[in-house]
Amino acid sequence: MKFSWRRARSVAYKEYKHILRDPFTLAVTLILPMIFVGMFGFVIDLDYKHMRVAVRDNDQTSVSRRFLQEMASSGYFNLTPVHSPAEADRELEQNGSPALLIIKRGFGRNIRAANPENPGQIQLLADGTDNVQASIMGTYLQGVVQKANAVFAKDNPDLSGGAESGARTGEQIRSRFLFNPELNSRWFIVPALSTIIIGFLAIVLTALTVAKEWENGSMELLLSTPVRPSEIVLGKLVPYFVLTFLDVLVVFVLAVYVFRIPFLGSFPFYMLACWVYITGALALGLVISVVTRQQQAAIQFAFAVGLLPSFIFSGFIFPIENMPAFFQYFTALFPQRWFLLISRTVFLSDAAPVTLAAAFGAIGLFATAMILLAVHKFKTDVEP
Amino acid sequence: MPALRAEVRQVSKKMGRAQALQQVNAVFDAGKVHGIIGPNGAGKTTLIRVLAGLLHPDEGSVVYDEAGKLLSAADVKRVTGYFPQEPSLYPDLTCREHLEFFRDLYDLPQAPFERRAEELLYATGMAPFQGRPAGKLSGGMYKKLGLMCVLLNRPKLLLLDEPTVGVDPVSRQELWDLVYGFAGEEMTVIVSTSYMDEAGRCSQVHVLSGGRMLASGMPQDVMNHFGVTDFAEIFLKNE
Repeated sequence: MKFSWRRARSVAYKEYKHILRDPFTLAVTLILPMIFVGMFGFVIDLDYKHMRVAVRDNDQTSVSRRFLQEMASSGYFNLTPVHSPAEADRELEQNGSPALLIIKRGFGRNIRAANPENPGQIQLLADGTDNVQASIMGTYLQGVVQKANAVFAKDNPDLSGGAESGARTGEQIRSRFLFNPELNSRWFIVPALSTIIIGFLAIVLTALTVAKEWENGSMELLLSTPVRPSEIVLGKLVPYFVLTFLDVLVVFVLAVYVFRIPFLGSFPFYMLACWVYITGALALGLVISVVTRQQQAAIQFAFAVGLLPSFIFSGFIFPIENMPAFFQYFTALFPQRWFLLISRTVFLSDAAPVTLAAAFGAIGLFATAMILLAVHKFKTDVEP
Repeated sequence: MPALRAEVRQVSKKMGRAQALQQVNAVFDAGKVHGIIGPNGAGKTTLIRVLAGLLHPDEGSVVYDEAGKLLSAADVKRVTGYFPQEPSLYPDLTCREHLEFFRDLYDLPQAPFERRAEELLYATGMAPFQGRPAGKLSGGMYKKLGLMCVLLNRPKLLLLDEPTVGVDPVSRQELWDLVYGFAGEEMTVIVSTSYMDEAGRCSQVHVLSGGRMLASGMPQDVMNHFGVTDFAEIFLKNE
């Protein structure tokens, strides 16, 4: 028997009716990505700002005050003055300041003297239990020191004398970050997050469909008719493809209009990549459903396959370049890794689609392989 | 177009650890209403599924012929209607939507479909309930809808696995009347049942117990063979 478009269409139409008559699934599918992308997008913020720092200024000169002013105006620190060691302890232990900055006596005098042997000194004591925050704080503080040095040098020409200077401004490295000039982590996270959530949702949606037919007994009746596995697979993919694509559009609007993430790349290319990516994820769900034939097992598999690796192996949380060589290759198996690259690139840069050919090829290969596997694994009998 | 004849030859089938069928032989002559009778666990469902091509025998084979011409498995599937014992319709789809779905699965043109659907709806008395979802039908109506779906294609072999289970006596009578109404020159019907009183309604009975075929023939001949007046006695004797 030949492949029949009519049979595939009738399976799709039937599935479409199931979706429309199940408001819960429909609501979950359309609202869940909005909630997740919205919520996570706001919650996950890797930019440390307004870090509370206790400050003990033992110098109390106009120079030390100027330094603190520079520090406060950077926006990274909220300064709380303390006036005694006891007060400093209280601030650290009870009020939750993660760091204490001490400006040593003679700070202002040394800076004015511009003696390289005897520079102005400050000390930062940071809470090492949060190593990320502590190191970021150190980095930000260096930035403040560099900026303050430039200000002092401007006020006191003696300070700009290179080696003779007490506060060396040195050769300044001026970094300019391309594509995300403010290094706004939300710009980085939201395109990736939508990748993972839509991919996961697609896997779960189809993971239930075939298993449900087995549990309801309708598969036995279906298999006794001339319908072919390829027709069922196609018929099941199409309605969920439409539904998931609606999700893609919802999340896109959310990213661009709510999170104000620039979209600089090729929109048609992004849409094409989305189609291929969601087709692969939907087909993977079908493979799970076809193999497990039970809804509960299917949903567990969908979580195991769809959620965890996509967070860990996609490069969303852990940079792939930092992984051991084996895992760097291993991540190539996950379409999330490739689509994440496409998503981040087309959102934040206007790179030509040809530069993403390999990533596009990888998601295309995955989608093709999954469709073929779903058809191949589809049983046409009721053997256990 | 003549009905199908099916012949089961030395078929054995294990389901898990249980030997569901043991060297079963049976001939299902064309155009008749055959009853596979036996208590629960006799292997009736397994035999029906083997006949429907949904299970493959571990040993033995099933051959189908149409007026002496052997048919391939794919050809058999095209002309076979099978309605399982377990609920297998879509609860949210209406009767009409079920018929339209099966119309497409069997690739029926619209005009013949309309004629056939009308004929079936009239015969089953389901015409007023076309818009009702399958999940809201009574037991008897549910089975009638299933029967309509598989009869749409005018099958030459109709396989019904315990169609009268969970159905009230009036609906049972109606279902049997329907089966007889549609059986005939063009369709062979094989019905499994564990209701012994239904065996007498069949033109041929095949007595299955513990996976073995104990006897086949006309109901009265089979009862005479075992020296009983009631089919239930056969199984009581064999226990």
